[in-house]
Amino acid sequence: MAQAAAARPKVGVLGDVESVNAAFPDHTFTDRDFQRKDNAGDIKIDTNFASQSFWKDVRIRFFHKKSAVFGLVMIVVIVLMAIFGPGMNEYTYSGQTLAQKNMAPRVPGIENLGILDGDETISTSTGSKTVNLYKEKELDDVYYWFGSDNFGRDIWTRTWEGARVSLIIAVAAAVIDMVIGMSYGLISGYFGGKVDMVMQRILEVANGIPRLVICTLLLLVLKPGILTIVFALMLTEWVGMSRIARAEMLKLKEQEFVLASRTLGAGSFFIIFREILPNIIGPIITQVMFSIPTAIFTEAFLSFVGLGIPVPQCSLGSLISESYNSITTHPFQIVPSIVVMVLLMLSFNLVADGLREALDPKMKGM
Amino acid sequence: MKKYTLKRILTSLFTLLAILLVLFILMKLMPGSPFNDEKLSEDMRAALYAKYGLDQPIVVQFFKYVGGMLRGDLGVSYNISKNTPISQLIQSRLPISIRIGGMAVTLGAVVGLILGIVAALKRDTIFDTAATIISVIGVSVPSYVFALGLSYCFGFKLKWFPMLFSAKAVTQSSVLPSISLSMFTMASIARFTRSEMLEVLDSDYMLLAESKGISGPALIFRHALRNALIPIITVLAPLIVDLMTGSLVVEKIFAIPGVGSLLVNAIQSNDYNVVISLSFIYSAMYIGIMLVVDILYGIIDPRIRLAKEGN
Amino acid sequence: MKNTKSILALGVAAAMALAATGCGSSAAADSSSAAASDTSEAISADAAGSSALNIMLETPVESLDPQLATDGTSFEVIANYTDGLMQMDADGAAVPACAESYDISEDGTTYTFHIREDAVWSNGEPVTAADFVFAWQRAVDPANASEYSYMLSDIGQVVNAAEIIAGEKDVSELGVTAVDEKTLEVKLNVPVSYFLSLMYFPTFYPVNEAFFESCGDTFGTSPETTLSNGAFVLTSYEPAATAFELVKNDAYYDADRIQLPGLNYQVIQDSQQALMSYQNGDLDTTLLNGEQVDQVKDDPEFTSVGAGYLWYISPNIKEVPALANLNMRRAITFALDRDSICNDVLKDGCAPTYTAVPPQFAAGPDGSDFSADQTKFSDVCAYDPDKALEYYEAAKAELGQDTFEFEMVVDADDAPQKVAQVVKEQLETTLPGMTVTLTIEPKKQRVEDMQNGNYQLALTRWGPDYADPMTYLGMWVTDNSNNYGFWSNAEYDAIIDECTTGDLCTDPEGRWSAMYDAEKIVMDEAVIFPLYTQCNAEMVSSAVSGIEFHPVALNRVFKDAVKAG
Repeated sequence: MAQAAAARPKVGVLGDVESVNAAFPDHTFTDRDFQRKDNAGDIKIDTNFASQSFWKDVRIRFFHKKSAVFGLVMIVVIVLMAIFGPGMNEYTYSGQTLAQKNMAPRVPGIENLGILDGDETISTSTGSKTVNLYKEKELDDVYYWFGSDNFGRDIWTRTWEGARVSLIIAVAAAVIDMVIGMSYGLISGYFGGKVDMVMQRILEVANGIPRLVICTLLLLVLKPGILTIVFALMLTEWVGMSRIARAEMLKLKEQEFVLASRTLGAGSFFIIFREILPNIIGPIITQVMFSIPTAIFTEAFLSFVGLGIPVPQCSLGSLISESYNSITTHPFQIVPSIVVMVLLMLSFNLVADGLREALDPKMKGM
Repeated sequence: MKKYTLKRILTSLFTLLAILLVLFILMKLMPGSPFNDEKLSEDMRAALYAKYGLDQPIVVQFFKYVGGMLRGDLGVSYNISKNTPISQLIQSRLPISIRIGGMAVTLGAVVGLILGIVAALKRDTIFDTAATIISVIGVSVPSYVFALGLSYCFGFKLKWFPMLFSAKAVTQSSVLPSISLSMFTMASIARFTRSEMLEVLDSDYMLLAESKGISGPALIFRHALRNALIPIITVLAPLIVDLMTGSLVVEKIFAIPGVGSLLVNAIQSNDYNVVISLSFIYSAMYIGIMLVVDILYGIIDPRIRLAKEGN
Repeated sequence: MKNTKSILALGVAAAMALAATGCGSSAAADSSSAAASDTSEAISADAAGSSALNIMLETPVESLDPQLATDGTSFEVIANYTDGLMQMDADGAAVPACAESYDISEDGTTYTFHIREDAVWSNGEPVTAADFVFAWQRAVDPANASEYSYMLSDIGQVVNAAEIIAGEKDVSELGVTAVDEKTLEVKLNVPVSYFLSLMYFPTFYPVNEAFFESCGDTFGTSPETTLSNGAFVLTSYEPAATAFELVKNDAYYDADRIQLPGLNYQVIQDSQQALMSYQNGDLDTTLLNGEQVDQVKDDPEFTSVGAGYLWYISPNIKEVPALANLNMRRAITFALDRDSICNDVLKDGCAPTYTAVPPQFAAGPDGSDFSADQTKFSDVCAYDPDKALEYYEAAKAELGQDTFEFEMVVDADDAPQKVAQVVKEQLETTLPGMTVTLTIEPKKQRVEDMQNGNYQLALTRWGPDYADPMTYLGMWVTDNSNNYGFWSNAEYDAIIDECTTGDLCTDPEGRWSAMYDAEKIVMDEAVIFPLYTQCNAEMVSSAVSGIEFHPVALNRVFKDAVKAG
């Protein structure tokens, strides 16, 4: 048997039955020996309990949940818009046309329906009036699909540019804090005892300091920009991830397969990252999905206290805090960024929920 | 239990001390000094450093500070309210922040529980989806936008509540800030309640209770909710402290004389002492709440206590 | 996409409404009828005190100690309840307050103030010359490290002030003495033409020594630890308060003049909330941001008042070789469209400025404004893209470089960030090859970077401390701590020296024209790129009249304010 197994790969190399026969003179092979037994029809496959791979199972459960699918589709749409949206018209995200500032949204085609035609009702202290800046300034061929801001920049372009920056920040922060938090939690949980004790105290200290204080300091010390914000978010968000990783580790580390691996001489880090990690990837991915919206939201908060992305670059958060100052004067300016932000957060949350239930229908929420 | 409690208290104190040290070092890393106005000359800045003892080595400053703190002296503010003892600044502000935070947590927890229960009971129906959407909007609309919206609708247009905080009408003027602050708590509690309730509803003892003929509200409130509530307490605790972050913004908008707005102003004007003191109070609150929850949890659920004592 | 958007917008609104109803009912649950009656009570209480003026503040008070306070808000509040020797009239000129009269010696170096007999503190003690001596000595005492001590030394030229601040002499040697209880004598090193106008600056306000000592460390932190000799008395206050009140001081010597029964201050850091409160009638005056001006510009209650600050860009001439090039600096200053910054971006009424000394705060010997003529330097400072390009090409040739990258430090506040974004755009479009990156920092940090010379371009501002062009011109002297660009010019230094301590001190007309020459040097050399003079867009209720707005020292004075109803 062992011989045959060793020989079989040679078939291809040698090319034909004759050469095999030459190699094994005490037995005569025929072509039939190398043909698959075609007996699918004879075997009774139990279709009631079809064997499926775990991930296929997850996929089916996930796509069975409508809200999760909706979330996934929305994320894909927003990502596509973030990639292609800014290039869909002639404007750039930082190009200012001060003569065309605070223009209300106007979309070709739809404008004929009486909406999005550039009309804006401004409520002033002396009564409200409806103006159409496009007509006043005789800009017949000018269209700002989402309107323009107080520098005359196109809000459509800025919204998608902002979505792009926010997504980059959020995904980068989530992935980095996954790597760090996960490793920290796994190591802390695996070694237990004094190591765990010390690592958990460090974590408590890190968690005990207000996030705003850490972020402010970082943004002052480092040059403000995407990298710094990612770094600041990472420093404050890894704690949750490490808690989950540690909890999972405590659950798994006494199980037999770990013992088996150790008996076979595997080192600690081999066990942690090669044996246990693949088993807890589900909850980790779910947590990443939850931490993306948290990162987007935290970035928005930083923007509000003046520590966000440096102007004239923008993120969804900085767009919201910029247009916040015009809510009462030009409310249309804040709508796109808020709506994209809400949709993005909603979608990530729905996908995370769906994933969590798909991975483990019984799993508790974290 | 006693031994466990004692051990937890000791480690908490140690953690707090470590946090204080880290805060101190962070403040030293902070570029710039509190005395940085166009009109200050080099000599005067040196004089100010000497006056407040900032020219001494950081170790000396740290021990002096800890010493002062043990006597209840948190130092004085350098900028936002010159030379005012910080304890005096905090004394009148902390109760206001706690009051509004308390109202927000209560409101958020009640509404969140209701939303979560409804979502769980009507799982995968339109109610469930609606509850999810409401709670996600709650976490995704920044609180300052929400606050301004509320203020515009209910303060300016409808005039139901005052738009600004007023010491003369504390209850009414706390309503709008509390609502805007409660959104995050509400959303988190709603989501968590839903998943806890689902788990409990699927459990065997619920089946047993049902088969014994218990039904309707009694089933939900006496059996299901009770068991779902215990883990909810654990998420509520860190949420209470998270309110502080939200309050930074809400306090600014509603002109509330609380600690949140103080912290933002202090950070922006490099007022070291105020930043350290407020951050420390925040940390102490956080660690204190975690401690209480851990101990309470041990009392409520013996399994956890045993597991931890064994550790 | 559009449809989804509007549906979601509706969703947001619905969620808001839902949350609010939820809360409405829970509030009603604790005290439904009580809450309702409470509200009406609160409102009627407000109505009863309706003739007190309700004033919006943007930032809280930093200090009520007149010698330690440094910000406009604190100055305004201190001046409400404290009178100095002089006060400002509606035009900003110095008129007697606590001093009933004054004598100036022939050589202009000795001032003798005669304090009013009826000037009393609110604890009944008379206001004496000793109160001023004590306060002024506090201001220069190095132990107090008062930021505005230079008002006595460099600016006021009080004898020995500079030496005391430097720690070389004892505070008792300050050139101010109480001749008797009501007579104060001040000796100056050189004649100072604007000395009287310094007397309304809060650093020179009196402090009662006995009262100060009785307060210990708590002076100026509560109504009990402040003493009034002015128009109003502080009745509620705590450090960094968001709301506090003052009532009319009946013991004030000029009590008949004061019409208002009191002042209610409210700190609101959000301008939209402030405007809504104003429109609700909770405030009588409020500050607006530029965006809101669109909403109210037709409103008769809208006014724009000069705030004095000159905003300008400071180039780091010493450290950045490209900016050491005069052609480059001129190219930049010609590329800046100041009209557009004021009218399209800020919109709050601020004035485009083309001079190193902003207009409307310094009146000369003949009463004319030092900088009324904004075109006097139009050959070196104006908006002219063609000229800008010309100078730019020259600079490129001299520097042998085609592309330039500058970093501009900017305060993390709303208005500076807006201005910086426009400046960036203007420079980059007018001067091809130039890239400006913006570094947004908290103000303290920006100032520190400038002080350390660690910047290339900086958007910064300077507010006048006293009504004389020297408050600006003094900045660009070699080695002045505020000369951030490290520009140095011997001729300029000589003129300024002559004007501050030299012969021109006694020759107002000669000094005035010398200062023109000095300003011309600054502008010719493009030491700074002036942008605009700040204005505050304010709403003032039509029921209120007589609030005085000033660009210098005290931004608002309420002594003559009247509120109808």
